[in-house]
Amino acid sequence: MKWFGFIAVFLCGSLFIYGTVEFPGWGDPLSPTSTHVSPYYIEKTMEDTSVPNIVTAVLADYRGYDTMFETAVIFSAGIACLFLLRQMKRKKTDFRLYRHTATGITFRIEKGGKLPPTAKEFERIDGLWTPYDLIIKTTGRFIIPFIQIFALYVIAHGHHSPGGGFQGGVILGASFVLFAISHDLRSALNRMSEKLTAFFYTLGVYIYAGTGALCILLGANFLDYSALATILFVDPVTARSHGILIVEIGVGIAVMAVMVILYYNLVSAGKFDEGL
Amino acid sequence: MSQHFPAFIIVIPLIAAFFIFTAGWLKRTYCFYIAAVALAISLFSSFGLLLQVLQNKVVVYHFGGWSPPWGIAYRVDYLNGIVLVVSAAIAFLNLIATKKSVEKEFIERVGPFYALYVLFVTGTMGIVVTGDAFNLYVLLEIASLTGYALIGMGTEHAALASLNYVFMGTIGASFYLLGIGYLYIATGSLNMFDIASILPNIFQSNVVLFAFVICLTGLFIKMALFPMHTWLPNAYTYSPSPAISLIAPLTTKVMVYVMIRILLSVFTPSFSFKSMAVNTSFVWLAVIAIVVGSILALSQQSLKRMLSYVMIAEIGYMVGGFWLANRAGITGAILHIINDAAMTLCVFLVAGNILYRVPGDSFDNLKGLFRKMPFSMGAFVVGALSIIGVPPTCGFFSKWYLITGGIAAGHYGFVAALLFSSLVNVVLFFRIFEIGYFEPFGDLHISGSMDEEEKTFDDAPLGMLVPLMIVAAGLIALGIYTDTLVTKVIQFAIPGGIS
Repeated sequence: MKWFGFIAVFLCGSLFIYGTVEFPGWGDPLSPTSTHVSPYYIEKTMEDTSVPNIVTAVLADYRGYDTMFETAVIFSAGIACLFLLRQMKRKKTDFRLYRHTATGITFRIEKGGKLPPTAKEFERIDGLWTPYDLIIKTTGRFIIPFIQIFALYVIAHGHHSPGGGFQGGVILGASFVLFAISHDLRSALNRMSEKLTAFFYTLGVYIYAGTGALCILLGANFLDYSALATILFVDPVTARSHGILIVEIGVGIAVMAVMVILYYNLVSAGKFDEGL
Repeated sequence: MSQHFPAFIIVIPLIAAFFIFTAGWLKRTYCFYIAAVALAISLFSSFGLLLQVLQNKVVVYHFGGWSPPWGIAYRVDYLNGIVLVVSAAIAFLNLIATKKSVEKEFIERVGPFYALYVLFVTGTMGIVVTGDAFNLYVLLEIASLTGYALIGMGTEHAALASLNYVFMGTIGASFYLLGIGYLYIATGSLNMFDIASILPNIFQSNVVLFAFVICLTGLFIKMALFPMHTWLPNAYTYSPSPAISLIAPLTTKVMVYVMIRILLSVFTPSFSFKSMAVNTSFVWLAVIAIVVGSILALSQQSLKRMLSYVMIAEIGYMVGGFWLANRAGITGAILHIINDAAMTLCVFLVAGNILYRVPGDSFDNLKGLFRKMPFSMGAFVVGALSIIGVPPTCGFFSKWYLITGGIAAGHYGFVAALLFSSLVNVVLFFRIFEIGYFEPFGDLHISGSMDEEEKTFDDAPLGMLVPLMIVAAGLIALGIYTDTLVTKVIQFAIPGGIS
């Protein structure tokens, strides 16, 4: 059976390679891909949208409708993960665990016992063994602001340089994930609760689809950003450029929040306590 | 406003999905109503579009104001106009019919469930309405992803079945994407009709040949044609019933539509049918699918599982009918997309109703059901007769066209397979009628006790029955108005060159 599989894969693979023989040469200026649609984008992007980065213009304007659905795919992935994994009812335990932050001693308080005062010296933890490392925490705290600034730059600078909402959103999400790893899930949830994350990722897709719907209300086709000119007080071409920025911000927010919710759900198997 | 209908069909459910998700956090009862309103608007717009198509032939909508091939365009003609109306109607009716069972099964997760439900409808309708080959892939991703999630919440082995579906579905979608990539290399365009205008000059190219083979392989996996069907039975058996009565009628049928669209509108009939000379082999593949699907259905012991194998056989009907490459065969295939979607909805809704009242759907659990749930089982009889192909239900007419096409093409193997499958369907469904009607009421039912009162009438709630009755009546109506459907719509969906 293994050999049969190998032979089948080998034959199909060779056929695939044979199929590529007639491909146009690498970077061939006369190939159909570089003569049919691309010249229009190369010549007209600046004139049509006043965006210097052609890739961004194609992604978010000429084919912006695809990109909206790519964002919707990410949104669906977030909901799917929540739908499948999230445990809506929390299991009640008989005891609670607290850590004295200064000494690192863990207290176990049985049901009915007196809870420690909610002062800063005590923090609630989920497992008997919750790692606590000053070096990692401090490094994380030091590095996270820089990651976030860079992420915002990538989102905002999408029209001029490589980047945009997806990349920037992932970087921004990574900063929150790093916070959750270097501290613990409980403190990450204190900073950015599940509801806030859900709010952000719906907000992101609202911004994108809402911009499109606004264009219909202003009398143009769906996602025709030039219609925004009247409310942004600019000319239609600049309006396209601003429209791209608006949807990129939406994508960035949605992607960031979905990364965070995926991490929260996967790492704790949907229980939202310290997992792993 | 009516010029925006193509956008409304997709965009309103999409935005509604976001609202539903938000409402799930605030007040759960709103979710259903938002979904219902969105799908009603979608149904209304697709109906309006079909009327526009009947008047002006083709409706084109440019997203972002960019004309193709630079931007993305939606294009509605006779072929997808009718499929759109049917899918929208199915999604809406199923939403209404499954309200109670969603409340029963997903009380905590109503928000995410309805959001995924509406996103699935968005993806499926988008696949049907789009005129851009890559946009189709993106929407396919949405429809598949939400489908996996909905199936994964089912009983027993649902997670494993869904994982299996994820693997097979992803392979299928990747193949489709690769095929589109090959087409892009060969033509430099992604718009279906633009590709079609460039392709005739380069039909001899190997790249086009490979694009054809790869696209088709991907679509065959997605539509579960026989050797690639393995993901389907488990996924459909274990999935939650409100989800499956949405997914089963739409997914595979829409993929058959995509095959017809890609082969007729992108590759054009002269390439698909004449240059390739693969018609007969594909019809034989369909024959095998029909025969094997029917035989495997015979050996099943539970209702949903049996129905999933019946569906595998039905996919064979449509694929075979299309590859007969004559007018009657293709008419039969398109008509069967509509009819099969409607009858699958009917029988899976009944399965959902049964599971609402009875703990399982194995044949033992069906004993005495005609007494307990006469209305649901009555609708089941209509659905079953339609699948068997008894006039005046709609199943008869599409089968008639398919058989006529088979005889016209001289492909008697296909005709024999259709008749064989109909006979097997008779056995399959009359066995269930017999169990439900004559076998004594078992003690497996949820009520447990054998009191005389317990055995009597206990059908599903009215909210589930009324939509089911509408669907069952629709099966007969579709049958009676077949002639109108074919002469007004379907005959224009087939390009002129096919006799």
